[in-house]
Amino acid sequence: MRNWFKSGAPWIWMTGGAVSISLVAVVGLLVLIAWRGLSFFWPSAVYEFELEELNGHRHTVIGELYDSEQVSAERILSSGVKLPDDHEDVITRYLLKTGNREYVDLDFRWIMETQIKSQSAPSEIAVFERSTNGNFYGYVVGLLENGEPVKAQDMRNELFQRMERAIELNDKASELQHGPIGKINYELERLRLKERSYELKGELDDAAKAEFEAQRQAYHDQYLGLEKELFDYRNQASRDAVIVKDMDGREVALPMQKVLDVHFPNDMGFFAKFGRWVHQLYKFVSDDPREANTEGGVFPAIFGTVFMVMLMAVIVTPLGVVAAIYLHEYAKKGPITKMIRIAVINLAGVPSIVYGVFGLGFFVYMVGGSLDQIFYPEALPSPTFGSPGVIWSAITLAILTLPVVIVSTEEGLSRIPSSVRQGSLALGATKAETLWRIIVPMASPAIMTGLILAVARAAGEVAPLMLVGVVKMAPTLPLDGNFPYFHLERKFMHLGFHIYDVGFQSPNVEAARPLVYATAFLLVTVIVGLNMAAIAIRNRLREKFRALDQ
Amino acid sequence: MISVSAETAKAPALDLENLTEAQTALEINDLNLYYGSKQALYDINMKIPKGQVTAFIGPSGCGKSTLLRCINRMNDLVDICRIEGSIDLHGTNIYDRNVDVAALRRRVGMVFQRPNPFPKSIYENVVYGLRLQGIKDRRSLDDAVERSLRGAALWDEVKDRLHDNAFGLSGGQQQRLVIARAIAIEPEVLLLDEPTSALDPISTLTIEELINELKSKYTVVIVTHNMQQAARVSDQTAFMYMGELIEYADTNTLFTTPRLKKTEDYITGRYG
Repeated sequence: MRNWFKSGAPWIWMTGGAVSISLVAVVGLLVLIAWRGLSFFWPSAVYEFELEELNGHRHTVIGELYDSEQVSAERILSSGVKLPDDHEDVITRYLLKTGNREYVDLDFRWIMETQIKSQSAPSEIAVFERSTNGNFYGYVVGLLENGEPVKAQDMRNELFQRMERAIELNDKASELQHGPIGKINYELERLRLKERSYELKGELDDAAKAEFEAQRQAYHDQYLGLEKELFDYRNQASRDAVIVKDMDGREVALPMQKVLDVHFPNDMGFFAKFGRWVHQLYKFVSDDPREANTEGGVFPAIFGTVFMVMLMAVIVTPLGVVAAIYLHEYAKKGPITKMIRIAVINLAGVPSIVYGVFGLGFFVYMVGGSLDQIFYPEALPSPTFGSPGVIWSAITLAILTLPVVIVSTEEGLSRIPSSVRQGSLALGATKAETLWRIIVPMASPAIMTGLILAVARAAGEVAPLMLVGVVKMAPTLPLDGNFPYFHLERKFMHLGFHIYDVGFQSPNVEAARPLVYATAFLLVTVIVGLNMAAIAIRNRLREKFRALDQ
Repeated sequence: MISVSAETAKAPALDLENLTEAQTALEINDLNLYYGSKQALYDINMKIPKGQVTAFIGPSGCGKSTLLRCINRMNDLVDICRIEGSIDLHGTNIYDRNVDVAALRRRVGMVFQRPNPFPKSIYENVVYGLRLQGIKDRRSLDDAVERSLRGAALWDEVKDRLHDNAFGLSGGQQQRLVIARAIAIEPEVLLLDEPTSALDPISTLTIEELINELKSKYTVVIVTHNMQQAARVSDQTAFMYMGELIEYADTNTLFTTPRLKKTEDYITGRYG
């Protein structure tokens, strides 16, 4: 035993064990959120259950099996639910997603195994994904065109064709709405601000007024034309409807305009399901959210996260590098420099919400407010830069991550051999020339390391953003086709905040739960992706400046 | 006694005390140097002749490198270093208040103990000094690269891979690259601080042959640990001990008939 201790084997076991535990924790976390998040998009079977209540009343329920759990009969009884007399001690109950939100009270419901008389998965059950009111489950009975029944040989094929048509028209309409109509609204607002600024300067005479009025009229005419086109598309799209028989036997006409997708999950093979899974995944990352974020995709949140992080990187890198250069190269080595250095390191330990409060008070209200006073007086009292926005979020996080960049840049600078410095100086370079031509390029891998750490920290921060720019739902992205293209004053969506919002602020908890996992997995993927990109750049730089390490 | 090799043609011995102004490259007058309160050089007075190789020898810590680094003011980088006296480069004091240090270092090139190429291509290493002077013309840069690499006896080895990273070269090649980099800006004086101490014997030999070539165009001052090397490559030798210049004479005389007992003890290997 003594020898075993002396040999160092326990030490190896201990260190190895620590590594294993960490690995298991990380892998377990990733696998859990990936599995929970990604399996949500797999088209699950839809069952039809025949239920019998204790009083002998029978009815049918159609829905997706969402979850199941084992509950003791005692617990069920104590909550006031009656059970048949010959019940077992432990009862399985199932969570069903029944959809059809406008016809039933709850689109999720628990059923107990004791209620189930029979269970089947008919291949004719259709699942409709709709732009409002969530999914609809039922049997397709017929089609309507302008209210008249349609005769068709192959009802499904006809349904798909008419759905495609409606989707195409809807796409055209929304393109029109976001493109030209959005642009006209934007221009009208700019015109209004311009007029207001003339008014503030006292230059708004009758000629100018007439000029503005003429321009406004021109936009307005253009707008009316486009509006007519829009309504045209919408009218065309609302031509068809599909008649569906739901679980209560009701025949319901669903307007085709609201149908986004239809599939027959019980009639799909593995490859069809896989194809649909990929398609759903793609829609999740590319679509806008719907229904208070509980449905649809998260594209604006992905875009907002990446955009804000990149903006932050653009701000923090030069600032941090320049500060590190001053501290390391120019500042006198003395107690004051030492104190500054300690202060910088301690800055990294300040809780992030404190930065949020500071950002709101200083950047948003003071700096932003002053910018509004000076540059955008015509828009007052509604703020332009004086309210939370993506630029303030980026700056706040830049301050938050500044210490990381400074510390790693300084470390990089101090690792450069003095012989290289002297070599440059001996060729007649000044200190500044040596810095920019030799030292900073050689320190660039270390700068990238700082940036990687900064990005990793910033992409995961949510608390300060809630104060300085993140919102539940942003109608427009901070980047679009209207001059000046970058709208840094706009509010934005963020994956981290989206997780919080969907998970804890959502009106429909059950519907949102898988989205929380999916979004969490996506957030991890985005951060890992950003880091991988930065690491790839760093490795290239390292290879290039594979300096005098020998 | 070390025999002075007969193959290398030595210039006829000069009267080092009474060099004419035209013959002098550097004149060091009453130079005292302090690191903080510690004095490192004591009253150095010497004249270094133009177009010849002058070697500083002496035991470790005798101040020979410190003296060399005074000539292109590299000691300025040391905060606690203080210098009294003057060094005249072709008649002007380099320690004058209004001397541009960067300009001085363009006139006095330096090669260090260990090869210190920049993490750039071979080509970019050579043209570094020229780019600093704002020369952008491709032709003249190309010409300078070939001329300097030929001057440093490296051209034939690297002409096909000028745009490869300089770290791919061997130690001896790197040291010759550094010499090429120094002569690319055509300095008047070239300072070599133990240029072969980190190299193998064959590379050392190549560099020594190169030093012989260089003196036709540049005044060369070399610090060396190796007395055979001083004897082989230099025309003048200065022996330093404890921060003082003990003896300074043409190499032949110093190695065959040293004036002082201290010098004799050192070159015969009794200490150091």
